[in-house]
Amino acid sequence: MSKTLAFHSYKGGTGKTSLVVNLGALYAKQGANVCLLDYDFRAPSLNVLFKRKPEFWLNDYLEGKCGIVDTLVDEAERFKLPGKLWVGFSNPSLESLKDIMSKDRRWEVKALTRTLAGKKEIIEKKGVDYLIFDTSPGAQYSSINALAGADLVSLVMKADEFDLEGTKELSKGVYEALGRKSGVILNKIPMEQIAASGGAEKFGKQIEADVGLPLVGMIPCMCELMAAGGKVIYTIEKPDHAFSKSVAQIAESLKKM
Amino acid sequence: MSSKSTDPALIDLLRKLNRNMELVSKKLDKLIEVQRSASGQMIRHPVAVPEDSPLDVTTLLSLPDHLRKSALALANLGEATATDMSKETGRVRAVESDYLNQLVAMGLIKKKRKGRDVYFYVET
Repeated sequence: MSKTLAFHSYKGGTGKTSLVVNLGALYAKQGANVCLLDYDFRAPSLNVLFKRKPEFWLNDYLEGKCGIVDTLVDEAERFKLPGKLWVGFSNPSLESLKDIMSKDRRWEVKALTRTLAGKKEIIEKKGVDYLIFDTSPGAQYSSINALAGADLVSLVMKADEFDLEGTKELSKGVYEALGRKSGVILNKIPMEQIAASGGAEKFGKQIEADVGLPLVGMIPCMCELMAAGGKVIYTIEKPDHAFSKSVAQIAESLKKM
Repeated sequence: MSSKSTDPALIDLLRKLNRNMELVSKKLDKLIEVQRSASGQMIRHPVAVPEDSPLDVTTLLSLPDHLRKSALALANLGEATATDMSKETGRVRAVESDYLNQLVAMGLIKKKRKGRDVYFYVET
């Protein structure tokens, strides 16, 4: 049975894209068929990491210029993965960024119905086990469209007050309203913060109580990840790295949710 | 602030009253739903939505829970009869039909007849 996951956050820079790519690659490495969709139309990133300029972008699909399957590029062979790793890219050109900002509500209705229909088509035609949406931070139209299409929403947050307060609002105003199963992933946590809170378990429980959502996983802050951002897929290239191990734990938790 | 308002016993009593009021409110909501189901009566929802609003996600989020569930399920199915929708939402057909007609009356979705069946759909 397939599962549709969406990764979202209140603020930008929480590490959604790195997590989405590494998680998708790990599932494909385990033999699952995976599809990643870059629904961050305001700041597309997957094209940078995979260095692709596909024939059709996801923007073209939402405009009705092609089918959703036409936008997908298989990256599994390149990384010698036993499962499939399909990726749908969003267009990073300035023209497309301007275009997406000028859409009216009628267009957004079409985008919602096409997102939901596209999800079904990918699962049926590609036999995908995990469909994963990477979204724009905050309450953007495209992000909420993706959340509406997801079975499970993972909220990626840093453990600071800005993120905490905003995340609580998103949880009440969006995730609960959409009736989606949700969980929190804490990322970039300074080790000092964990120690000061009395250890990882206590810290995690405190965040669960504050946000009102179950904790899916925690990833400590690692400076080298920032330096390697957009260049390395850790779960493929460095499976024994602490980050890869954290992603593996998150992957297992998500399977059980 | 008066000393009475900070009396812990009074605050405790007010909290209990508040909890009881919430329970009564939930029970009333259930009764209304049962009544609607039994009579098939259409009750317009008090939420103010501009006429012929498109069913985008912000509108979806502003809907009450019972109508949002129907609207989201219909967006997912594309086009459906009340029977199809009741299978999707797990609610009885009469209730689902009522909610869909409320959404039609609010201008958020459309309906059309195909032979003997009435189909609801999201206009894009």
